[in-house]
Amino acid sequence: MKTPGTTSSLSVLPPPLDGEPLGLYVHVPFCGTTCDFCAFHQQTPKKGEVRQYLELLARETLLAPLERPVDTIFIGGGTPGLLAPAQIRELGKILGEAYGLPREEWTVEMTPASATPARLAAWKDIGVTRISMGAQSFQPHYLEKLGRMQPREKIFEAFSTARRAGFENINLDLMFALPGQSWEEWEADLREVVALGPEHVSTYCLTFEEDTTLWWKLSRGEIRRDEEREIEFYRETPQWLASEGYFRYEVSNYAREGFACVHNVNTWKMGEWVGLGPSASSQQGGWRGTNRSGLDAWGEDLEGGRRASADRFPVTSLTRALDRLVFGLRMAEGVEEKVLTEILRLAENPVWGSFWEKLQEEGLVGTRRGEGRRYHLSEEGFLLADRIGAEILAAGE
Amino acid sequence: MDLQHTRNFSIIAHVDHGKTTLSDRLLESTQTVATREMKAQLLDSMDLERERGITIKSHPVSMAYQSEAGPMYKLNLIDTPGHVDFSYEVSRSLAACEGALLLIDAAQGVEAQTVANAHLATSQNLTIIPVINKIDLPSADLDKCLRQLEDILAIPGEDAILASAKNGIGITEILEAVSARIPPPRWADYDGTRCLIFDSIYDSYQGVICYVRVFSGTIKPGDTTVLMSDGLKVEIKEVGVFTPARLKTKELTAGNVGYIVTNIKSVADIKLGDTLTHLQSPAKEMLPGYKEVRPMVFSGMYPLDTGDYEKLKAALGRLRLNDAALVYQQESSMALGFGFRCGFLGLLHMEVIQERIRREHGVDIILTYPSVIYRVETTRGETLMVDNPVNMPSANDIEDILEPTIIASIHIPTDGVGDVLALVMEKRGICEHTETLDDSRLMLTCRLPLNEILVDFFDRLKSITHGYGSMDYEVGEYQSADLVKMDILVNADPVDAFASIVHRQKAENKGRQLCERLAEIIPPQMFKIPIQAAIGGKIIARETVRALRKDVTAKCYGGDITRKRKLLEKQKEGKKRMKQVGNVSIPQEAFIQVLKTN
Ligand SMILES: Nc1nc2c(ncn2[C@@H]2O[C@H](COP(=O)(O)OP(=O)(O)O)[C@@H](O)[C@H]2O)c(=O)[nH]1
Ligand SMILES: [Mg+2]
Repeated sequence: MKTPGTTSSLSVLPPPLDGEPLGLYVHVPFCGTTCDFCAFHQQTPKKGEVRQYLELLARETLLAPLERPVDTIFIGGGTPGLLAPAQIRELGKILGEAYGLPREEWTVEMTPASATPARLAAWKDIGVTRISMGAQSFQPHYLEKLGRMQPREKIFEAFSTARRAGFENINLDLMFALPGQSWEEWEADLREVVALGPEHVSTYCLTFEEDTTLWWKLSRGEIRRDEEREIEFYRETPQWLASEGYFRYEVSNYAREGFACVHNVNTWKMGEWVGLGPSASSQQGGWRGTNRSGLDAWGEDLEGGRRASADRFPVTSLTRALDRLVFGLRMAEGVEEKVLTEILRLAENPVWGSFWEKLQEEGLVGTRRGEGRRYHLSEEGFLLADRIGAEILAAGE
Repeated sequence: MDLQHTRNFSIIAHVDHGKTTLSDRLLESTQTVATREMKAQLLDSMDLERERGITIKSHPVSMAYQSEAGPMYKLNLIDTPGHVDFSYEVSRSLAACEGALLLIDAAQGVEAQTVANAHLATSQNLTIIPVINKIDLPSADLDKCLRQLEDILAIPGEDAILASAKNGIGITEILEAVSARIPPPRWADYDGTRCLIFDSIYDSYQGVICYVRVFSGTIKPGDTTVLMSDGLKVEIKEVGVFTPARLKTKELTAGNVGYIVTNIKSVADIKLGDTLTHLQSPAKEMLPGYKEVRPMVFSGMYPLDTGDYEKLKAALGRLRLNDAALVYQQESSMALGFGFRCGFLGLLHMEVIQERIRREHGVDIILTYPSVIYRVETTRGETLMVDNPVNMPSANDIEDILEPTIIASIHIPTDGVGDVLALVMEKRGICEHTETLDDSRLMLTCRLPLNEILVDFFDRLKSITHGYGSMDYEVGEYQSADLVKMDILVNADPVDAFASIVHRQKAENKGRQLCERLAEIIPPQMFKIPIQAAIGGKIIARETVRALRKDVTAKCYGGDITRKRKLLEKQKEGKKRMKQVGNVSIPQEAFIQVLKTN
């Protein structure tokens, strides 16, 4: 099958990715409510839509056969948790028939509200190994501010339900730098989460993405951002969590030893991943692309035998190396020297070398020796990860 | 109408003393324009002229006047531009006349332009009729005005006519004086046709239309004429008079004022003050007083939106059709992209052009620092004229730099003299002469570098004197000065748009101000970026742009790399829209703000 964007010279494509970790991402577009901070594509399911979704998903698996076993699966959304137990089992059947069980990890995202014993049992049954729940905050008034309609008790309940269902790898998401939030309040959240004792904690600085409710409030001046506070939280949180045994392995992610999210780490290292479901992205076979969003548009593409038709482009060796650097730098383990060597060899922009040196001179990027030299962001560098990423792309291309 | 009953005159005055109002009254009184057709201030036809109360183009009009003694007179009123920037234009309009009404605001008395204009009129040998206007004002001080007339201008007070243009007082006396005191047209029996071109406009249907005063001979459609300065052949397609609308006539004869429609395509080809004569039987000498006008002030003009370059080019082209004094040529700046180096007669001219480009042509523009033309003598013995700091040779190659000066007459209330002298000093000027105008006013004659008055001199003079100060100037000589080119370096790269030529002693101060301003305006950067002011290789001021502290989005899901990358691409694109100076992205906004506020 010839797809747009792949017609250019094949010689620029990277070598085949055999041997690279292979992940499967499944997007479930439904969500019960829309949180004020969320810009992800989702819709409240209308009658029959979940049915339609599952049928289309089955069809997409037929268009995306894989020749080797998947290492990880990540089911995200939306809230996959919204699926009824029967639907969960059907989803498991579809994926299992197409790809078998993942070799390393199978994560499902859900809200505490949807974490019922029946559903969790269903997830467990189909082979899910890891639960990721959005707690966001333990403080009722902040939950309300975020447009999150869950009482804090629900978080505790959901967590213990998941444990009882046998999940030994649980992540909780928290948000910080909420409008008006003090360090003490944030610390209280951290204390609550640590008391629960999940294996993994994600702490997201509240962002104001275009077209979210929060963004509107911000642009109308109803709430204010306090960058200094964001910086403080960013700086203090890693130490705080480290003293409790959670180690930062990425800008926003902390885990107990051995519990980093394998799926995400593989993605950041630019392995291969296959995205199923509306608006899911794929990187596979030398190209990258995104499924059209919305059940109808996605379905229409599948009908025509197409996948990932939006923003589709070939991933050249240079693009891949640059992305390895940009996303790899967000991780504590950083990036191997050979990625840099590759960029230096391929980048045509003569400033690249001096730009990279400058990043080190200014103390934004540091080096570490283990097996070979590795590059990683410094504390200041972490805070500038986006800018550094944009500059890397600008200088490298 | 025979020569004996023709009068050519103009009205000269300091701004706001009532020139336009009086012109309107004269038109009404002679029924040249029916009262119902009168728009207030009929002769200032451009919006901008009306708004700012200045006249940029001359507006001649012919009036028929029934004198009290009986005979009918033809009175040609030639309104003149009213600003120092246009003093050559004023002198050409005056050259078309035999007399002038010198208007003085009864409450204000003699002011800077009154003196300058009176001098211009005297040097053209015009008969001056002093008119004290606005006598209706309670604050009118007739004694003072009459005394100033005699003391400052050596014009006998008893010659003055007391008038109120607003209330129609003294209008008949003025018309009588014009017909009785001003002599009939001069030089009418000169051998050969001579027409003075005192203005020209571009008309999209008819092409270039010249405003002329015929001194001798006759001119009519079908004539082939030449311009005496450069021998350019001009075909006459139509002639006529101003009523004030253009009215076609069969011919224009000696002593009269009117217009000619020519085959010439651009006003730039017609030089103001030139003499038109017949190709077949040319006059031997030109009319006196012609000179080439040269722009005095230069500035780079750039479209705010780089996509508007063609629009700006078209706008300048259109303005130039009607304004031969505007010169421009393409230039490009690393910081601002493609634009034009423009030359103007002076600051007002610059402002007017800038306003018209914005308003009439809808192009948003940014102007770089105005610059004068420096005369640079190199160590190799050459002389260079430099109107753009970027073209200044390096310090080692310069023997001497000379700058243009002006001789300013500054009229101020006596109690402000200390502050004004301090201002003059600060601007590197010297006061050469002080004269008492009356018990509360002084006139200072100062020599100042033109460069120093370009930006805020006039505004500050006005504010120091609470609005009562006024100034006029004429161009002085070039004089040697200790000038240096100051570069502004962003991350060690010089930024052309900020380069300037300054006096050595002022360099450090100005450099520091600029650096501070820039450091404030440039958005926080990832790396530490020095902003420096330098003379030659020597750094004289330094600031550092604030460091960016946080730019990270928390979320970067596995299934979401594409989205994340898009965001980064967007940032990268945003960066491209900024001006790259070395590693630093400076938003165009920053350039504009710095150039604006300085
Ligand atoms: N009181 C009074 N005001 C006048 C008289 N003549 C003109 N003005 C006002 O003075 C101002 C300037 O007049 P204008 O004719 O535009 O002056 P110009 O700048 O010399 O053309 C306007 O507000 C006029 O209305 C007058 O005789 N008496
Ligand atoms: Mg006027």
